[in-house]
Amino acid sequence: METHFTWIDGSIVGLYLLATMAAGVMVRRFVGKVEHFLVAGREMNVFLGVASLAATEFGMVTCMYTAQNGYDKGFSGATPGILQALAMLVVGLTGFCIKPLRDAGVITIPELFEKRFGPRIRWMSGVVIVLGGLLNMGVFLRTGGDFLVNVCGLDLHYLEITMTLLLVFVAVYTILGGMLSVLVTDYLQFIVMSLGLLVVTVMVLTQVGWGQMTEAVASRYGEGGFNPFLHEDMGWSYVLFNLMLNIAAVLTWQTTIQRVLAAKDTRTGQRVYSLTSFFFVCRFLIPGLWGIAALAMLAPESVGDSTLLAMPRFLCTFVPTGILGILVAAMLAADMSTDSAYMLSWGSVIYNDILAPFRKSKWTESRGILVNRMIVAGIGVFLLIYGLWYPLKGDLWTYLGVTGTIYLSSMSVLLISCCYWKRANSWGALGAILVGAVIPVTFLVIEQVDATEELAKWIGPYYSGIATYILAGLAMVIGSLLKPNSDTKR
Amino acid sequence: MGEMLSGLVGEHWFWALLTAGCVLWYCSVTVIVAVRGASDIGEMLRRLASSQDKSLQ
Repeated sequence: METHFTWIDGSIVGLYLLATMAAGVMVRRFVGKVEHFLVAGREMNVFLGVASLAATEFGMVTCMYTAQNGYDKGFSGATPGILQALAMLVVGLTGFCIKPLRDAGVITIPELFEKRFGPRIRWMSGVVIVLGGLLNMGVFLRTGGDFLVNVCGLDLHYLEITMTLLLVFVAVYTILGGMLSVLVTDYLQFIVMSLGLLVVTVMVLTQVGWGQMTEAVASRYGEGGFNPFLHEDMGWSYVLFNLMLNIAAVLTWQTTIQRVLAAKDTRTGQRVYSLTSFFFVCRFLIPGLWGIAALAMLAPESVGDSTLLAMPRFLCTFVPTGILGILVAAMLAADMSTDSAYMLSWGSVIYNDILAPFRKSKWTESRGILVNRMIVAGIGVFLLIYGLWYPLKGDLWTYLGVTGTIYLSSMSVLLISCCYWKRANSWGALGAILVGAVIPVTFLVIEQVDATEELAKWIGPYYSGIATYILAGLAMVIGSLLKPNSDTKR
Repeated sequence: MGEMLSGLVGEHWFWALLTAGCVLWYCSVTVIVAVRGASDIGEMLRRLASSQDKSLQ
């Protein structure tokens, strides 16, 4: 495959990797307690929080699916980003749910649920969070590897080796330094990532041109390329599903909420949300523009059905040597910050909530840290295995939305009820968890089975997702009202 | 100038403004975060070190 990637670019990437590794490993000496490992001792201030949240929520996988959205849906593909930015701004300004959550001084969301719904609900919440989170993260490695292989012009056989090396690299500093390493490396990664994104975006806008890009979208998708309600693959169901999904993600996505929990106080957590909110528009629109540029510049037959790979195939010949090194370093930065934060986040739920029943006799801090490190290593191994065999069907953003919904639907219902509805109780919580998990898991299964594949297409992921959120909410209300009133007074 | 700008932005002014906003956001926030984030890291590590010293004493 033709590419401009040379030894100069390789050197830039190598230098960046060494600097990250050194910074990540250096802070390990500050990890003396489990609280340091999981939430950085709650010492995170606003600007470090902005860097960390932005770096965590932008990985190579993000770049790939948002660019795919741009290629497949035009500018309308950035709709989820706009919805998420609005949700994050409102939550940041009002403190809706995140204020009582941070005030409670918990490490994870299920820990808060125990105070209201009891230990069983805490444990079950932990299980669905980890299930949804790991299924979601399972596709990160392969998709990131696809980007690297295509941009760097590597042989396809090197994909597995590339992604394994990347994961091992990230796992080393995450295991040693936990959240402290994640925050420090996120800071470096945010700067490198921003530099790469800016340089390439300015090149795309000046060399491909705004006019050529809007013309390409208009000729391929008509008005639907600019208005999500008019796009044939989107419409109101897409917008509504993404609105629900993004509100839930802002409130309960463990990697996002962990920045609020690691903040030095509630006000800092809210400011991190408000200041980072517009980033979520950038997160969808900037790679979306790269996807639109690919739409404008590449012949449709050279892309075929693999629209996920259109953007890297375009960039590998469009971006010149030297700048390509900065781009790859930026994307590696993006991916490493995401992988490290995600491994730590799901690990924190496994330790804090799923293993809670086994920690009835208090563990020493050193034992707690050791167990946390083993959990992060175990997640790394799972990611390698799952990432290698899971065949992705349909578009990537929808897969992430459906797997995320496994927990986002029920956890958002539980969190809102826990904070603001006095009548909410364990029966309602149990109903919401079951309904919230069963519908998306069933959808994923019928999508993979040949005999029911057509049924999955007929229902579609958006209606399935909308139904999950509504029914999870109903289950909470009905379950809570059915339980005798005396038990709700905890 | 106004004519050139309106020709460039065209009928898709919403997306053009949003794109310009994204580039401006990255230009400004990257610089602010690079400067203030570094001092946040320094402060965080100092606090952690002092709390470790206290617990050792």
